[in-house]
Amino acid sequence: MNPKLFLKFVSISFQKQVTYRFDCFVGIVNGFLYVFIFTSLWKALYSQFDTTVHNGFTLTAIITYAVLVMAVKISFTMDDSIIYGKVMDGSIAMELIRPTSIFFMNLAENVGHSLFHIMARTVPIVIISIFIFDISIPFEPVRLLAFLFSFLAGYVLISMLNFTAGLLAFWFVEIFPFMLFKYALFTFFAGGIVPIDFFPEFLKPLVNILPFQYMLYFPTVILTGRIPLTEVHSIIIAQLMWILIMGVICSLMWSAGKKKLVIQGG
Amino acid sequence: MQEDNIAIEVKDLKKEFKVSSSGKGILGKLQALFHRRHKVITAVDAINFKIKRGEFVGYVGENGAGKSTTIKMLTGILVPTSGSAEVNGIVPYKNRKKNAAKIGVVFGQRTQLWWDLPVCESFDLLRVIFRVSRFDFNRQMEKLEKALGLKPLLEMPVRKLSLGQRMRCDLAASLIHNPPVLFLDEPTIGLDVLAKENIRNFLSEINREEGTTIILTTHDMNDIEQLCKRLIILEEGRIMFDGETEFLKQKFVHEKVIEVEFHEVGCVIQGIPGVTVVREQGCKKWLTLDNDNSGIGEVIGTIASQYKIKDISVKEPSVESIIRNIYDNRIRLSTP
Repeated sequence: MNPKLFLKFVSISFQKQVTYRFDCFVGIVNGFLYVFIFTSLWKALYSQFDTTVHNGFTLTAIITYAVLVMAVKISFTMDDSIIYGKVMDGSIAMELIRPTSIFFMNLAENVGHSLFHIMARTVPIVIISIFIFDISIPFEPVRLLAFLFSFLAGYVLISMLNFTAGLLAFWFVEIFPFMLFKYALFTFFAGGIVPIDFFPEFLKPLVNILPFQYMLYFPTVILTGRIPLTEVHSIIIAQLMWILIMGVICSLMWSAGKKKLVIQGG
Repeated sequence: MQEDNIAIEVKDLKKEFKVSSSGKGILGKLQALFHRRHKVITAVDAINFKIKRGEFVGYVGENGAGKSTTIKMLTGILVPTSGSAEVNGIVPYKNRKKNAAKIGVVFGQRTQLWWDLPVCESFDLLRVIFRVSRFDFNRQMEKLEKALGLKPLLEMPVRKLSLGQRMRCDLAASLIHNPPVLFLDEPTIGLDVLAKENIRNFLSEINREEGTTIILTTHDMNDIEQLCKRLIILEEGRIMFDGETEFLKQKFVHEKVIEVEFHEVGCVIQGIPGVTVVREQGCKKWLTLDNDNSGIGEVIGTIASQYKIKDISVKEPSVESIIRNIYDNRIRLSTP
């Protein structure tokens, strides 16, 4: 897919988001509410103990994590119903008749979506949080660069997860409940609620064989400084490996699903 | 390998759908939760045909005959269960993108334009998608604008277009890259007479001037009579006629229909050899004559001498009535 076309679709999707202004305002309030709830919870929890460090997190560190993981998660906002919506109403037919890749078209649409959410929600929420909460982010240019890479890799991974999950619509007509389940699974195992360091021992092997931690947790802890710069490259390599694996799963599912496709309504 | 002048070649093409049927009532539905009954429906049943470059082919059949399913396999949307198909020498379900670059598609019930964008922006996006140079694009657009009267529509968002306007835009959209093969799935559905006429004129023009191969599915037999030299009739997934539209007309033209209006209701016509009453309505009766049993003049003479008649006329069967008869199994066809 050529880059010009990709950018065109990013911009269309972005413009579509801009039209929903009220949605955007509610989104900021909603996002900030989450940040507020989680930081309050951590403060309350930490005040119950005499020790100041838990699982390697000081209160400042855990609050920084809570704010940033929410910021990353909001930046990753995408419409995971795009593909299955199109399969369900048959409009996917109109995309299949074009010489373009369905995955990249979908990615472009998601990027437009996310760019808007970064601008309209992530940035204001981070700025407000910096003033209200006690946050510490190490300022190292190399670290920021590494974060950017890891962030983008995480983004591609989430796109692939959503795409693959959406493809289940080829087999099952209604997959909304499954998408809810996927979202819960992702939010928890990616460290969206509690950092993975707080997980009980028995869950850790499971976390390590799932790709979710590479979507939110690692990009976030690279930024907070929890990961030493010397270890950053191994995380990015692991992310790239997962992109490869997910890519294979994606295309296998796509070619198997195509045979199952039924275009509803004419 | 394909000969150069063949645009589409279809061999034993078959598509089956698995349909799960749940039982009736609460009990049946609950049962279906654990045990599904599957039914296999054959939408397209091992069909064969070849279409040469520049042909204008009507692809007709009743609802559910498998027309759209065939088109969807040829455009790379659906993967056939078995058999093969080639369009421009490309296998559509294996090389979807490559195939898509060389065909134009219009599905009358859907649009490929972007709902919220002005028409001209949709066209511009398609220009980028199909990698058409700005020069070629401008030249093609100028032609399409004139032929389809698009000028006043270009700035309008697609959602505000009427059905006829949208269809003209969709047609233009499918031709931006000047494809050698055009698939039209019910492009005149729901349009008024004038809009249909405009679209027909345009289609016959591009078929004539650009040599575009066109495959048209429609329920409107006027489309077929005016446009398609060749006709493929499908029934329950099988081809039951493939030949010239003119041939079909010729073959059944001797089966003339006589429309008689009597003075009174309830005249019984009997004793005239080779004559059958096919339809009655009030004082009117429609009669058909069997193969040359008796001359048409003779029959009319007999009727006129035996009954009081108000009006009498002889009609040639239209393609529509021929096809209706084929659907109703009143005519048996052998594929020539």
